[in-house]
Amino acid sequence: MAGLAHLLLGDGRLPVGAYTYSAGLEPAVAAGLTRDRIPALLRARLHTAAVTEAAAAVLALRAAGRDPVDYGPVQQALAARTPAAPLREASATLGRGVQRLARRLDPGHPAVAALSGIGPRPLRPVALGALGAVMRVTEEELARGVVYDELQTITSAALKLLPGDPLDSVVWILDAEPHAAAAVAEALAVRTPAGLPARTPPLTEQWALEHAQRERRLFLA
Amino acid sequence: MPDRHPDTTPDRHPDTTPDRHPDHNTPHLPDGHPRRALRLGVAGPVGTGKSSILATLCRELAGELAMAVVTNDIYTDEDARFLRSAGVLPTERIRAVETGACPHTAIRDDVSANLDAVEDLEEAYGPLDLVLVESGGDNLTATFSPALADAQLFCIDVAGGGDVARKGGPGITGADLLIINKTDLAPHVEVDVAAMVADASRARDGLPVLALSRHDPASVAQLTDWVRELLVRHRSGTHVPTDPGPMAPHSHSHSHDGS
Ligand SMILES: Nc1nc2c(ncn2[C@@H]2O[C@H](COP(=O)(O)OP(=O)(O)OP(=O)(O)O)[C@@H](O)[C@H]2O)c(=O)[nH]1
Ligand SMILES: [Mg+2]
Repeated sequence: MAGLAHLLLGDGRLPVGAYTYSAGLEPAVAAGLTRDRIPALLRARLHTAAVTEAAAAVLALRAAGRDPVDYGPVQQALAARTPAAPLREASATLGRGVQRLARRLDPGHPAVAALSGIGPRPLRPVALGALGAVMRVTEEELARGVVYDELQTITSAALKLLPGDPLDSVVWILDAEPHAAAAVAEALAVRTPAGLPARTPPLTEQWALEHAQRERRLFLA
Repeated sequence: MPDRHPDTTPDRHPDTTPDRHPDHNTPHLPDGHPRRALRLGVAGPVGTGKSSILATLCRELAGELAMAVVTNDIYTDEDARFLRSAGVLPTERIRAVETGACPHTAIRDDVSANLDAVEDLEEAYGPLDLVLVESGGDNLTATFSPALADAQLFCIDVAGGGDVARKGGPGITGADLLIINKTDLAPHVEVDVAAMVADASRARDGLPVLALSRHDPASVAQLTDWVRELLVRHRSGTHVPTDPGPMAPHSHSHSHDGS
């Protein structure tokens, strides 16, 4: 590959349904978060959800390289660390888009076939592990893609929810770079599903639960 | 709930539905026999009567066809709630998708959320004959990708003014059927329906145009007949989903593309 695959992974225009997700921003805004607090939210996500997600994706990518491919342990470990049902559902919905893409790219690939064996739908990081295997990205590229996607998701949703100068988003993302690098390093250091860090902050969960009850929503979660 | 909808399949949650149909999106089996419902998109500017057309189609056709509905809204479920309250289909067969404030994207650039909804409905209530997908009311440029809709209606109304048909755009020029809706209002807004139909027909190079009012049973019958005929073509494998075309600012059928 000409080094394009990992760029695609982090591309917000990848047609896998991610534009329906705000990575917690819409629920946070409903709870009173203001535009000036977006950088703080980005940092908070980088120390919490982004680490768990990226680590799970890396574990899934490793599982995808084994014979036979078994995503069971990482799927279960991640589900157990995602106690709020709406967040599990959102992850499964997003995972479905990723799975559809992976199937389109290489339906016969063992990493793709094994996704169908997962009882409840694969959570997004698990599907991303499979997609990473199909696209032959490295663990580090995958982890960085997941972490970057978290930032991009929040800042893109901010354009709809807390509008302001779109160029601010770029500043926020670059300012968050050291925290993003730390999240990637931490994710890569996780060796086993049992060691997957449980990092869903209670406030994020609370907001997600409230969001699921609302009628007029723009985003999944 | 009308008993013509025997919903024996329990409502399964998407989260727990295993993905057993890797090629669920394939319209036809190798022998040409369709394995899934006809997906009919309904697009058009805000307030032109898309939801009302869905309600009409459900009311007229649900007795003979197994149907379901997916709505796209800027805000999640206005249209779905309208249709559920119309009582034309069991409420669980009407689903709304979140569009992240991008209703255009949801029906064209990235149809994931809509495909999920359609597949879930087929999984839960299938086999279905017809799934109607309403676009989020937007402007003249939003049309469905053939990856989502096998065919599409584009709906404008007389209240938008007699010139709309001449303004063009991919929906007006290229949708499988153009509907000029609310013809009962024409006298009140001083629009000549016949002239509007003629303008639209010229812009569409022979594709059909239907002047519709829900108060005019003959026009409603024409609409339902068109859908029935489309379904026959879908089932026989002779209908080819066509993209209405790029988001051109303005185009005429007699533009110089005849090579
Ligand atoms: N007079 C008349 N009014 C109609 C007709 N069809 C729909 N309407 C009215 O037009 C208005 C808009 O109809 P909807 O069906 O909600 O339009 P829509 O395109 O779904 O609207 P959005 O989803 O908001 O874009 C409603 O007040 C309807 O009652 C018709 O045939 N004649
Ligand atoms: Mg509507």
